[in-house]
Order: sequence, then C-alpha cells, then structure tokens
Amino acid sequence: MKLLQCPVNGIRPLSEFSYGGEFRTMPDPDSCTDQQWAAYVHYRSGAPGYKKEWWYHMPSGTWFIAERNTITDKVSRTYLFPKREVAV
Amino acid sequence: MPLRLLKYAISREHPAPRFFRDCVEPKKTYDVVIIGGGGHGLAAAYYLAKDYGITNVAVLEKGYIGGGNTGRNTTIIRSNYLTPEGVKFYDASVKIYEGLSEELDLNLFYSNRGHFTLAHTESAMRTMRWRAEVNKHVGVESYVVGPEEISKACPQLDISCSGQAPILGALYHAPGSVARHDGVAWGYARGADQLGVEIFQNTEVTRIDVKGGKVCGVQTNNGYISTNKVLSAVAGFTPRITQMVDLQTPIVIHPLQACVTEPMKPWLDTILVSGSLHVYVSQSSRGELVMGSSLDPYEMHSTRSSLDFVEGLTSHITDMFPFLSNVKVVRQWAGMADLTPDFAPIMGKTPIEGFYLDAGWGTWGFKATPISGKTMAETIAKDMAPDLIKSFRLSRFEDYELTGEKGAASVGH
Amino acid sequence: MSSRLTTQSTEWIQRDKPFSFSYEGQQVTAFEGDTISSALWANGIKVLGRSFKYHRARGILTLANHDVNALMTDGIDTNIRADVWPVQADMQLTAVNTTGGVIKDRSQFIDKISPLLPVGFYYKAFHTPRRFFPFWEDKIRKAAGLGEVNFNYPRIPKPKQHAHCDVLIIGAGIAGLSAAISVAEQGLSVIIVDENAKAGGSLTYDMATDSVSQLTTLLSAVESYSKIRLITNAYAAGYYADHLVPIVETTGITKVRAKALIVASGAFEQPPVFRNNDLPGVMMGSAAQRLIYRYAVKPFDKGVVVTANDYGYRTALDLLAAGVDVLAVIDMRREGSSSPLVTELKSKQVAVHKASCVYEVIASKQKLGVSEVVICPYDELMAEADTKNKIRLKCDGVAMSAGWAPAAALLYQAGTKMRFDNTVQQFVPAELPEGVFAAGKVNGIFELDQRQLDGQRAAAEALNYLGKSVATVEVKQHQGISPSHAYPVVNHPKGKNFVDFDEDIQVKDFINAAKEGFDNIELMKRFTTVGMGPSQGKHSNMNAIRILARIRDLPVEKIGTTTARPFFHPTPIGHLGGRGFHPHRYTAIHEWHIENGGIMTAAGLWMRPSYYLPAGSQLTAQQAMQQEAMAVRTKAGMIDNSTLGKIEVYGPDAAAFLERVYTGKFAKQKVGQYRIAMLLDEAGVMVDDGLACRLAEDRFYLTTSTTNSAMVYRQLQREVQISGLSVSLANLTGVKAAMTIAGPASADILSQLTTVDLSANAFPTGSVVETKVADVECLLLRVAFVAEQAFEIHLPAAAGLYVWNQLMQAGALFGLMAYGTDAQRLLRLEMGHHLIGHDTDGLTNPFEAHAEPLIAMDKAFFTGQRSLKIIAKKPLNKTLVNFVLDSDFAGDLPNECNLVIDNGDIAGRITSIAYSPYLKRVIGIAFVPPEKRQTGSRFEIRNDAGDLIAATVIQSPTELAKSA
Ligand SMILES: Cc1cc2nc3c(=O)[nH]c(=O)nc-3n(C[C@H](O)[C@H](O)[C@H](O)COP(=O)(O)OP(=O)(O)OC[C@H]3O[C@@H](n4cnc5c(N)ncnc54)[C@H](O)[C@@H]3O)c2cc1C
Repeated sequence: MKLLQCPVNGIRPLSEFSYGGEFRTMPDPDSCTDQQWAAYVHYRSGAPGYKKEWWYHMPSGTWFIAERNTITDKVSRTYLFPKREVAV
Repeated sequence: MPLRLLKYAISREHPAPRFFRDCVEPKKTYDVVIIGGGGHGLAAAYYLAKDYGITNVAVLEKGYIGGGNTGRNTTIIRSNYLTPEGVKFYDASVKIYEGLSEELDLNLFYSNRGHFTLAHTESAMRTMRWRAEVNKHVGVESYVVGPEEISKACPQLDISCSGQAPILGALYHAPGSVARHDGVAWGYARGADQLGVEIFQNTEVTRIDVKGGKVCGVQTNNGYISTNKVLSAVAGFTPRITQMVDLQTPIVIHPLQACVTEPMKPWLDTILVSGSLHVYVSQSSRGELVMGSSLDPYEMHSTRSSLDFVEGLTSHITDMFPFLSNVKVVRQWAGMADLTPDFAPIMGKTPIEGFYLDAGWGTWGFKATPISGKTMAETIAKDMAPDLIKSFRLSRFEDYELTGEKGAASVGH
Repeated sequence: MSSRLTTQSTEWIQRDKPFSFSYEGQQVTAFEGDTISSALWANGIKVLGRSFKYHRARGILTLANHDVNALMTDGIDTNIRADVWPVQADMQLTAVNTTGGVIKDRSQFIDKISPLLPVGFYYKAFHTPRRFFPFWEDKIRKAAGLGEVNFNYPRIPKPKQHAHCDVLIIGAGIAGLSAAISVAEQGLSVIIVDENAKAGGSLTYDMATDSVSQLTTLLSAVESYSKIRLITNAYAAGYYADHLVPIVETTGITKVRAKALIVASGAFEQPPVFRNNDLPGVMMGSAAQRLIYRYAVKPFDKGVVVTANDYGYRTALDLLAAGVDVLAVIDMRREGSSSPLVTELKSKQVAVHKASCVYEVIASKQKLGVSEVVICPYDELMAEADTKNKIRLKCDGVAMSAGWAPAAALLYQAGTKMRFDNTVQQFVPAELPEGVFAAGKVNGIFELDQRQLDGQRAAAEALNYLGKSVATVEVKQHQGISPSHAYPVVNHPKGKNFVDFDEDIQVKDFINAAKEGFDNIELMKRFTTVGMGPSQGKHSNMNAIRILARIRDLPVEKIGTTTARPFFHPTPIGHLGGRGFHPHRYTAIHEWHIENGGIMTAAGLWMRPSYYLPAGSQLTAQQAMQQEAMAVRTKAGMIDNSTLGKIEVYGPDAAAFLERVYTGKFAKQKVGQYRIAMLLDEAGVMVDDGLACRLAEDRFYLTTSTTNSAMVYRQLQREVQISGLSVSLANLTGVKAAMTIAGPASADILSQLTTVDLSANAFPTGSVVETKVADVECLLLRVAFVAEQAFEIHLPAAAGLYVWNQLMQAGALFGLMAYGTDAQRLLRLEMGHHLIGHDTDGLTNPFEAHAEPLIAMDKAFFTGQRSLKIIAKKPLNKTLVNFVLDSDFAGDLPNECNLVIDNGDIAGRITSIAYSPYLKRVIGIAFVPPEKRQTGSRFEIRNDAGDLIAATVIQSPTELAKSA
C-alpha cells in the first residue's frame, strides 16, 4: 500500500483515498462547439507524465489536488483546490 | 505419443527451423508499418499477407514479441457480450480461434472449458439474462443456470461463498475457453514471417511523421522508415503513440494485475468469473490456478505489482474455495490496460490519413486477437473498415454513440 | 542405516526430543529441530521426490528452499517443502506427483521417452487433427500439476499484523546482523528478518573462520538492543511501493512499513551443470554443510567434490571431518586453486584434479542414486570435457560448488538497476532506489570481514538517509579469483545435464530454443519455462543467462535478466487473504426486521429486508411480497428507508448550488416544498435521483438512492469546491433513519402521532415540514412514489426503532404491515415509476426516460446540460414505456431483460415486469423503439421459452386501476 499526503490530514495509506480522475478545465459551454464539448466529455490526455489529479480522502471527505507522475507513481505535491478569488 | 514428435527423437540435430527470421535492420520503406508486436499487431501482419497478399510489411516491437499484454493476460476467450455488435464480433474471433492451432500448425492449447459468470445479486442475475437473451438471439450458446448446475460443473465451489455472497445463478457460456498466450503471438509471428513480413524486435517507434494530414514515415531507434500506412496496435502504450500524431482519444491506462499458484493436479475444469467478488479463475494445463481481479483504481503507466491486489483477490477466492487456504501463490504481475469509457475497442481509420488504430482493448483484447487482426488487415488493405467493426470507430465518442457494453458495466475479460 | 553424526556444537536438533513419523509407509525417526528432509537423510532415505516432467528420482539439492525436489503431502496439506519444513511427530508423508510411490513411480517411463519431448514439444503436437486434442489435453493436464489439493482443508484465515520501523533488514547473516547493530547504536528501530530457523546465515554452516564465536558475539549484541526486533522463520515476500514489505511467518503476515530498507539477503548457491547432476546424492556444497552443521547428518559416505571456486575445498574438509570418504576434489578452473586448503587436503590423501570436471554421474540401479562419477579433463572456455581421459570413481555422493547468484528479488522489485560485475561474475546493484540499501553477498561482497563491514556501511548510508550523520564505512571490493565460475557447464551428447530442476530443463533445451528463434532471455524463459517453476529460478536463472550469452556469443550483461516479481517464496492464499472483511451496515431498525422474519439482502453496503416471513408463515416469497403490497394498496404498509442517502446543503448559495448540479430548478422553490432532484453525468446520462426539500432559504435536505449515496455525496463535495459557491454539506446518511408509511390508512395512523394536519389539502404531495412524530423531531414529507398517499419520515437514527415501533402499534388496528424492497418494486411499478439504475442503464439519457419535465434546459448551466443539447439534435433511438400484458395472458411470465422483438430483430428489452395482484394484470416497463411509444402501441416480448408475448403500451398502470 502506498502512502499519500492529504493536505488536511497528513500522510495516510492509499486505501483511505479514492481517485477522482484528471483535473480538467471545462470549456465555456456557451461558446464552445459541440465537437469541443464532446471532446471535453469523452477524451482524456492519457499520455504519461506529471498530471494534476483529483484525490479524495474518504474518512474526512477532503477533495484535493495531487501532482503525480503517472509512470513512477511519485506524488510531487498535494494541495487543496484553490477557492475562487473573491473580488472585494 | 503423436508421431510428429518422433522426428525429434530420431534426429541428432534439433529438426526445427527458426519461428521467425532474426531481422536486424529495417529497409528504408514498407507498404505498411505495424507498431507493436503483440498478438494484435502480428495477427494484422499475418492477415495482410495471407488475405491481401500485402507482404512488404514491417512489424516493429520495442521489446520482444508477445511481451506486452499478450504475454501477461489470463487468456479467457468468450463471446458472451451484451450488445449484438459485440457478440457477433467476438463470436467471429472464437470461430477463428477454434481452428487456429491447425491453421498456424502450432498447438495453442485452445481449451474449451466452459465459462460461468457467477451472479450474487438480483441485479447481476438480470444482467446475465440480458446477455443470455442477446447471445441466443445472435446464435451464441449462453444461458442462465441455477446453483445446481454450477455445482455440477464445479462441485468444489462453495455456493454460499462462505456465507458472504451466496451465488444465485450464473451465465453459462459454452464456448468459453483459454489458450496459450505466447503461442498465439508466436504462431502469428511465424505465419507472418513465412509469408514475407519482417518482424523487428528491440525496435521502438519514437516519432511518426505526418504531412498534410497524411502519414509519411516513422522514426525508430533502429532507423527511419518511410511509409504511407501505419497501424498502431500497442495496447497500453496507445496514448503515447496517439500523442505522436496529435490524436485525441478517450483512452486511459490503468494497471491490471494477475497471479498464479503453484501447480496442482487438475480439479477446476471450468472458467469462473465473479463480478461481486472481483475474481476470475481457471486452471492452466500446467496445473496452476490463474487468477485475476478488477483494475487498479487509478491511472498508471507501469507494471508494478501491489499487495492490495493479491490480498483482496485471495480473500475472495477463499470465500469461493475455502480449502485453498494453504495453496500458495507463486507469482503476481501486471499489464497496462488501455481503457475506453464504453468497454469496447477503438478500431479502424482515424482523421489522419494512413494512420489506423487498433486500441482500447483494456482487459478483454486477447480473445479478439484473430478477428482484430483480420478486420484491421481488411481496413488497411481496402482503406475502409468492414461492417463488423463499424460500431467501434473512434468518432463514436464525438457522436455520442457509445456502444451499449457500457450499459451493463459488468466485469471485463 | 543411520547417517546421523555425533553431536555437532552447531547443531539445531534437540537430541533429547526424538520421535517418529512415516514417509511412504516407512517408519522413520527424527529429532525436534529436524526438517523433513534432514530427518529422512539421517535415516538413509535419499529419494525425496520425483521431478515435475520426467519423474526422475530427486534428493537434497540445496536444502535451502531454492529448489522443489522434495515436495510432500501429509494427506492434509500438499506441496510441503520438505527441505525446510519442520518435521513433526506422527506425520504420514508421501512424495507428491508419483504414480504408485516415490520408489516405484510408474511415470518414470517418461524419462526414457524424453527424446520425444523436445523443448516446447507441447506446441508442436497434439493439435492435429483438431478432434483429438481434447484427448491429449486430458492426458497432459493429468500429467501436469504437483500435489493434489485436499478439498476438505479447513479455511484458516490468518490474522494480519502491521509493524513500523526505521530500518527493515532482510537477512540475518553477518552483513544484516552487523547492519542492525549499527542502526540500533544510533537509537533507531530495526526489524530484521531471516527465513531460517536461526539467525546467522552462512555463519551457521560455513566454518571457514571462527564462525561460532563470531555469531555468538553478534547475537548477544543484537539482543542487548531493545530497539532490534529479530524475527526468524520469516521471509520477506516482496517489495511494494513506499517500502512496504510483507513478512511471512507460519502464523501469518506482518506488513512492515519501514523508512529504509537494507537488503542483506545473501546469495543462492548455483549448481554446475553436468549429466545426471540431479541424482539423489548430488548436492550443493552448502547443502552438505547445512546437513552436517545444522542437523548433524552425514551427506554421503564416499564421494567427490566438484568445484569452481575455493568454497569446494572448504566443503571437502567439512566432509572429511564428518567422516565422509572424500575421494577427490575436482576443480573446473584451469589453474585450480592456490588456497592453502589444497595442501591440507592433499595431506589428507584427497586427490585434487584441476582443469577437470565431472563429465557425468553414473546412476545406481533403478536410477535412485549415485554409483560412480566420471571425471575428465575440462576446457573451461569451450565447456568441453576431454572424454579420452576418463577417471571413474565409485561413490555415493557429489558435493558441488560453482558459484552464487544474488538473492536480489526484493532489490529488483524495488526498482534497483543491476549491472554484471565481472570480478565476482555476478549481478550487483548499480543504482539503488531511494531508501533502499544492499549489503553482503547480494552486493557482491564475499570475504567474511568485508561482509561485516558492508553491513556497517549500508547501515551508515541508511542512517544518513534518515537524517543522522554518521561516518561512512569503507569496504574493499572483491579482488582476485571470482567466487563464481563464468560458465560451469559441461556439455554431454546424451544431455540430462540439468539447469532447472523444477522444470527438468537441460542444456540442449536452451540450444534448441535458440535455434527456433527464442534467443532473447524473455522469449527463452517463456519457451523453455526456465525459472517458471515454484522456485522461480533461484537455482536456474543465472545458468540460463550464461548459456544464452554463450549461444549468442554476447557478454552476460547484454543478455540481461528476466523481471523478478513477488513472491520471494510462494505464499499461502490464507496468509495473503487474511481474515477478509465484508463490512455491512445495519439500519436502526435492523433488529426489528430480524425479529419479524425479514429476509435480508445486501443493497450496496446496507442490509435490507426483501420481504418478511414471520415465524410460522407458510407463504412463498412471492406470496409474502404480494401480501405486503396488497396491504399498502388496501390498508397501510411501512418500509424502512434509512438506507437512502441524506445530505444537508446549507449556505447562502444552497439553491444556486443545487441548480448547478441537478437538472431542475430550485431557486424559486418554496420553503416547505420538495422537488425531484435528478443528477446526470457530464455525458448527459441519468445517474441518480432523489428529493430536494427546502427547509429554509439557505437550507436543503437532499435524498439520494441507497446505492449511490456515497458517490453522490462525494461528487457534490467536489462541486462545492469547483463552483466556489458559499455552501457546505453534511452527510446525514448514517445519522438519520427514514421510513415511509403508505396506503389509504397511512394518514389515519400517522395522525395519532403527529399534530400536522395530514389532509391532502393542508399537506399536499410535494410538502415537507419539520415537526414531531411520536414526540421525536423529524422531517415529514408527503410522497406519492409507491402509493397515492404516503408519508416519508426522516429522524435521528437513535430514535428510529422507537418511532417505527410507535407507528406499528398505532397501525395495528388498521392492518399496518411492514413491507420489503420486493413489494416496493411492485408498488412503484403499479404507480408507473421507473427506477434509475434498474430501468435505465449506463447510457440512458432523460429524453429516453421521458424525464423532460425534470430538466430545465433554460437554466444557465447544470451538469450534463451541454451534452443534452447535443443529444437533443439527434434522433431518439429508444424510449422507456409502461406496458401491460393482455388480460387473458396465462403462460410463463416473461423475465426482466427478455427482449422486445420486432420482425425478428432486437428492438428493446423489458426492464421491469411483475404480476400485480391489485390490478390483476401483468405490468411492466420496457425499452421500445420511439415509434412504439404511443399509448396503445403493441409490441412483442420473447420469453425464456422463446415464445412471443404481446404487450400494449399504456400511459401508466394507475390508469388501469381507474378503469378497473
Ligand atoms: C493481467 C491481464 C489479464 C488479461 N486477461 C485477459 C483475458 O482473460 N482475456 C482477454 O481477452 N484479454 C485479457 N487481457 C487483455 C489483453 O491482454 C490485451 O487486450 C491484449 O493482449 C492486447 O494485445 P495487443 O497485441 O493489442 O497488445 P500487446 O500485447 O500489449 O502488444 C503491444 C506491443 O506494442 C509494443 N510497443 C508499445 N509501444 C511501442 C513503440 N513505440 N514502438 C514499438 N513497439 C511498441 C509493446 O512492447 C507491446 O509488445 C488481460 C490483460 C491483462 C494485463
């Protein structure tokens, strides 16, 4: 079992986490073409390398981002998803 | 003993030629370049030569032939899929397999053992019936059976699964078989080689050149080859190849693991799959139990083993066969499964002229080796995909026309 | 005849604890501390097994679990490794894989016909004509396999332990032990494991130096540190990510998570390859030493030592000391040895032949042992014996020392890059992964004092890696003559010079495999099956690599190695599986269900009653279900819905949040109302539905289906983050109980326990109120899923059973019955409602399920909306409809998933079907082609028997009820 660093709870065994897939930015649904949207929904950048991914710490219900090399399985860093900047 | 073995006893020199030539340096150009010397690539090469007389073909394999998922898989062959397109496609593969040892003159140990997909829940039973009905409709021998019939075929199975997940019934699939994976790769390699195809091992494609939307050549670590037709049949490496030509696909890679026990005298005659317990198992002709489970839960491009996998698998296998407690697991391994969102392959032409894709074989592609080779050969030869694989076209995702195999997200293989 | 020696100071046996056991029907004596093989050998029994393929007699080869010559069964367990398994009193053992006993094994004829079985023979025959293959296959299957499984073997789930330490050390030989001491000196914790019964590694059998006192010193130092935990009889089964190593003992597995790992696992002695090197009596030098020093057993009476290094000379002296008549030492090296031991041996009348080999061993009668060895001059470069000059010596044993292969499995698994070191003729680590260190023979260090230093060096590196700062330690790399021979192989025209003893693979098999094109190591492994047997190449892979290198005329490093994978030793399924957890969740009302005959079924993790069969009930499942459903239609019924997902959504953006994730509109929803909340995925597929109750402007209470509750909660949590909306979620699934009371009498029953006016006018469907039922705070909804009139109550789980009981009491006079999930399914069918996940599948979109009223396409955004816009432009290809079978339908009821057939083609399928005793009709839901969706359309269902059954599309079964 691997270990993973939850930004809130620290290093925990992988069995406490669930994988949420690659972090992807949604195209603007109003301005994108059907084809662009279909690509967003179905296609993935499957090639190996460092990726931003969603991970979920199940016992505490924490979603966070992990930057992970999908070949070596090394996680370079984890952090909470940045809250949108609020204009003041 | 069969007479064919006599010559080995009589002759002082081992009277068997090379399976395939020791090709070292590729020529400057080929009519077709096939990337990937797994079962699929080699079968495609064989049928290109045999069915279409296209023999100026190079198969490029970065490691050794059959060393990818072909040589790592648990070799379950069946056609009891859910959609009529799926059933017809895999049934065509089974039909070729049945005569393949004779055709290739290599004993692939194609062993028809019968296949039970166990159902532990009502909803699994419904899916079994769905598959059975579609199978029957297409003419494939599958039917729903009750616990008694399962017990008859496998008296050692604890139908209550140690009280954890009582078996309500199963989908029985008479044609279910296993075969020697290596043999399939070697047989196609020999067949292709004899027809003139050149197979290069230790030859890795590192770049694909596309000009004006057309393929024109590939760079390898063993020289440059110009060609107008490239088939990618690289399973777990597909995203790396499609990246070379800037082609988007839904394919993601997850490891799939398996393990074997020490050999024991044969007792398990059938192939058993349990979706609820995430177990599939058969006994090889060497006497080992060959076992597998579900996919690893996250994307990874590596074949490392995990302890979680064997722990989970063995725990569940003892639910089914409590007496296996002291039988030992010898070895575990993994392959990289190229997964699609609808559990069906991606086959045929692509938006890049001359670039053909045979991918998305995930956990289920060994059974399709002959038919994928045949249909991809036809696609390349005629530059048009045959009807049998039309529903597997890449464009189905953009068209929101995924195959119905997704409907019953059942276990793979 | 006993071969037991007088007491050895080093021995592991306890002579005061003798006992007997039987082997192949023969009574044998043993001492506590013996392994099965050592006890048998002490009794002069040398045929311990038959080989896998040729059924050749086999004896002790390594006595170290590096081969599987001796596999036995005691009738209960099988494939017991006799070389290392402690013998126990009264065991009744036989060898596995024999026909008629190990001596008379009728399958030994296979050895004679072995020329008919060339390498890969099974690829070459038996397949033509096709129809005969099953016949041959049956024969081959029966011949394969080793032991027979005992189908009555009990399920013994072994507990699993977890352990943590700073440094885990694999191997308690001199390198490992000294590493342990160095680490402990710095105050860090150590776990050190060794697969042998006692620590010490080669110090327990290699007496080249003052091994005994050295070991005593090391062990007492180890003992003095409380931070060192030494575990013997335990092997490290594999290496997994982040330094996780399962340690296997007979009692179970300990999963050790270490901060650093030192692999000091030593080396496997490798057999030289010559004809009949597998006969009982031919063994490794180290095996002979183990026999003598651990078990006080004489390896043989009269024999020779064949060697390709200086260890053989030591072995010869050990044999002499044990009273063996050592006839000769045969040194395969051209120059022989310059060790002082040579003179010592010569002085003891032992002939020393350099540049010679054992050309072959001549078998005794019946091929059960050694009768003679044939010694020839040997050309080590050509691997050829000069057969013109033979010396024949009568003897009964051969000890072999040709070199070593590193026990590097864990290093490989951890990702170590190895290189071939010519000075030691061995693969050694070139690049170690982070936190992994190697020491001792596995690291190519052979001199005893240097191995000790190497342990300290590795410890120092590990300590520095862990943040200590300690001085580095210098170790002398190996110099001079290699401990391993570069090519300890003797060709023989008649073969039977074995490389892999597990799989009966001889030199010519490699040559022939290469001839057929299998001339890289991976293909060769697969074609010859070298290293694929239970000992996983421990004694064979290195020679295989050498032979292939020679065939290809390439240096060994160009050949490379095959991939090492777990497990180091085959590991029992019961150990790996452990206790096996099957977690289930029980609702607050679980006890009541059990007491009242609830037939429980798993629904996801939860257990739910499908129906009830109270004690003494004579009903069938079907009748029980129908009775429950009828109660709902005519009186009242109640179901435990606690398993529904329950989520509270709170915050100023609560409504906006729901609008974003669910298909419907919530912004203008009134407090005190609920709406259906349907969830799609990004592709527009229906995923889940539930109710969204507005409890305040900024507070919603959501329900989800039972099976999807965890998934939906998780998804919503992520959406909270992505959307950045000001909203928070609380998962109340386990915290709240829920129940639905339904049927014409439900309001009357419930009103006894609540002050809410339950009339349809005051509290119509769609209403929700926070109130009290039976004095318990709860949420009350009027719903219409299973019946025209029904109330759903959500309340604290702790009060669930209480309120349930109160309602049951209140309803007793009204005929209130509990109903299970089976009845619920029928009831909702009678109401014409489809279930997501039951009637829909992984591709169904809302258009196909007539769910348009639930999707607000005019909203700015919701998950799946953009995809629906694309789908909406495409023609519909199927649609869900309610249907009814003809009123005169008799026959067998079609089953769910029977197909809808149109003109002989598949046109859809039925997703739900049931006989409704209330409507007295068979009703259902089906996917049909869009053109059939009009009420009154007829279509045909093919039942299991293959008959076509007519069905009619209806608006909803409720219409039938009205017209009936
Ligand atoms: C553990 C496991 C169990 C399975 N069980 C089953 C089963 O029971 N039944 C079933 O039907 N299927 C099963 N499968 C799936 C099946 O193994 C695969 O779908 C199938 O073997 C794919 O064959 P292939 O020839 O397409 O790919 P592969 O056999 O993987 O061949 C692809 C080849 O391409 C080579 N390659 C990659 N990149 C390059 C490059 N750039 N240049 C040159 N060469 C390259 C690779 O080295 C590899 O040899 C299983 C898979 C796994 C991993």
